[in-house]
Amino acid sequence: MFWSKIWFFLIAVAAVVALSFALVMPRPAQTASRNEETRRLTVACGVVNIVLEADARNRVELAGKFARNEDVERELADASAAATLDEKRMKQVRTVGEKVMEGIKGKRNPEWAIMVDKKGRAVARIRVEDTEFGDTLAGRPLVDDALAGYLRDDIWMFGRTTFLVAASPVVKGTEYVGAVVLGHKIDTEFAKKIVGKSLLVELGFYLPKDTIAATSPAALEQAPMTSRIGTLLGPDLSSDCSNDNNKPMPLTAGSDSYTALVSRLPGEAGARGAYFSVFSKQTAEVGFWDTVSGVTKDDLGFGSFPWILVGGLFVVVLGVGIFLMLFESDRPLKRLTAEAVRLAKGEVERLAEDAHPGKFGSIARSVNIHIDKLGREAKSAKKDLDQLLGPAPEGSLGTIDLLATALPSVRPGGPAPAITPPPISEFKFGDSGAMAARPPLPPARPAARPGTPPPVAPPPAPKTTDLLGGGFESAAAPRPSIGTASTPPLTLDDDILGGVGATPTPGPLPSAPVDPYFKSVFDQFLAVKKSCNEPTAGLTYEKFSEKLVKNRDDLIAKTGCREVKFTVYIKEGKAALKATPVKDE
Amino acid sequence: MHRLAITTVFLASTASAHANPVHGKLELPTTLPERPPPSVRGFVERVENPKKPIQGISVTPYLLVVLENDTSKADSPGQVKWELAGDSFTKPVLGAPVGAQVVVKNTSHVARTLVAVEDAKLIGNGLINPKVGEKSFTVSAAKVYTITDKDAPHLVGKVVVVASPYIANVSPEGKFELDAPEGSYKVRVFYKDHWLDQAESVTVVAKGKTEPTIKITSLAAPAAEKKP
Repeated sequence: MFWSKIWFFLIAVAAVVALSFALVMPRPAQTASRNEETRRLTVACGVVNIVLEADARNRVELAGKFARNEDVERELADASAAATLDEKRMKQVRTVGEKVMEGIKGKRNPEWAIMVDKKGRAVARIRVEDTEFGDTLAGRPLVDDALAGYLRDDIWMFGRTTFLVAASPVVKGTEYVGAVVLGHKIDTEFAKKIVGKSLLVELGFYLPKDTIAATSPAALEQAPMTSRIGTLLGPDLSSDCSNDNNKPMPLTAGSDSYTALVSRLPGEAGARGAYFSVFSKQTAEVGFWDTVSGVTKDDLGFGSFPWILVGGLFVVVLGVGIFLMLFESDRPLKRLTAEAVRLAKGEVERLAEDAHPGKFGSIARSVNIHIDKLGREAKSAKKDLDQLLGPAPEGSLGTIDLLATALPSVRPGGPAPAITPPPISEFKFGDSGAMAARPPLPPARPAARPGTPPPVAPPPAPKTTDLLGGGFESAAAPRPSIGTASTPPLTLDDDILGGVGATPTPGPLPSAPVDPYFKSVFDQFLAVKKSCNEPTAGLTYEKFSEKLVKNRDDLIAKTGCREVKFTVYIKEGKAALKATPVKDE
Repeated sequence: MHRLAITTVFLASTASAHANPVHGKLELPTTLPERPPPSVRGFVERVENPKKPIQGISVTPYLLVVLENDTSKADSPGQVKWELAGDSFTKPVLGAPVGAQVVVKNTSHVARTLVAVEDAKLIGNGLINPKVGEKSFTVSAAKVYTITDKDAPHLVGKVVVVASPYIANVSPEGKFELDAPEGSYKVRVFYKDHWLDQAESVTVVAKGKTEPTIKITSLAAPAAEKKP
């Protein structure tokens, strides 16, 4: 059983390992999914920065073109020379600006334009607050830089609206005469253009506690994003996307979960905390059951699942288990069972302990120990029998009363000592083969018949049964189980008398050779019965001798004696007969 | 256009009674400060236009001249007007005597909420409405206040409070004009956000103009006052 236990242990370990793998396996996939999500967001964030930068270059270039328009140069030069600005001039300049705006070709037409004279005054506004003029725009870094001669971009906020702005100086001849500022609104359309169809993320532009524009209507919680923006330092905003302190963060929007990566926006809006965020819906947590439920028919097809390997492994595991069961359990048990049957049949005296491995050997040893114990008890009982019966006739094994339930009150050798019956063995052979060796029982005694004296009450189980059972050598003949003790013991008297009452002699029996000894015993028995005034009707020599022969043969078979001596005597006023085995010597 | 610096101080009665004109000039250093890097940048770095070199910065709007002596304290400082013209004040640096009331008028079309960085309670809460809105506050100690709008960080103005009513801004040519009683004064020059380390003095004569020329050796802040 050792290897069976090892095999069972290995299978249990394999099962636990397999279960652990099954439960753990979704996690690497989940981690890989998250890593992919992180990578995608990081790439998208970097791409958005690049696209915004490229867009800024285009807008600055567009502002430069606007500023190089001769009409614009002329009008701003005139305005710069004026001490004050009036509405008439404003409208004149605005008309020029409108024409230039209409002439701009391309997809990135500005939302508005502001024309500034060299003193920093807004001469005219086109398509935004276009009735306002004369106020000072100088002071804004973008305008100051443009008036100084730089082209640059910025992000401005008008109220809750945010604009990408670009400015260019206006130079007429050798003089700076002003600047042009173009504005492009940050709105949903712009955000959608930035992400396009290839980034597979959402994009949002935010102010602290406010959303500027987003490609998705999802209302992301902004506090974590704003908090993260506060931790991003350093002048290089383009590195925000790959900053080790700025990993994608989990966010919620209603009941949905998102992962977002934030990056600061530059310019004036950036100084007020504006930022953008690329985000996407979180991949759902995939557990064991989700993984299982996600398995499709194709996943279990022969092309994608190693059915042959799994089936082969199953057969191998099952085969090894069956082999070990047969090798270590079934076969030894079968051998032990067969040997036990042989033991019951008397073909062997003991079980071969060494032939049975492990626990089966222990069982065999236990059985053998008990057999040895029974043998010792049988010898002890035989010794007691000799003591009980006194010196037996030469060659006799002792005397057995075939009729009486008690020992004769007077017997040769004086009164018999009290006999302690041997303990009843609890050992039983379960094999039915042992029962097969049991001699056939005599026919049942019929019920009381009319005209016959009341039957003698069956005597209690004679000790002869026990004496016989415990006294014979176990190897001599299969011994009936104790369970058979309930069977009425066979007694000569019963058979002889029963035969008289139950079956009247139908007629003269076929003559058989008369044994002088049996005839002598029959005559003695008949005489004693008569002397005791017992009925003798139906008592014939043939039946009597037949019974004696049978009892003699049984005794010889059970005791191994050479001959049996029968003695007639009176017991409690009735004729009785006892058989005495005669030893060989 | 020559824009003379006009004092914005309504002089005290005692001072005005004996005021004498002072038309001075600042001789600025030949090497002016370079244009600082942009306070904020866009997605791309600013680039120079290909047609003309970049203009140098103008320092005169940020200069303020003050004449001080032991008797120069204004008995009645009066009001000082300050115009908010849009995204900047008409004067980025405003001088005011101690005790003067500064009146800010918003002539732009954008409402503003001003605050003094050094004293949050100096200016009362509330918007200054566009076009006609005004907000006033009184400066009671000689101090430099930085006035700004939190919603427009680029909008910054300095209010320089001094213990003298004789204050003048400087024209783009470096000239300044003020009226002061006869006497000897120490000339102090403020630039942008600090006092210059000048040890000039001027004597205002009883009759005729006093035309001092103040040579500015450096616009840099004294070592002790240098800001980070």
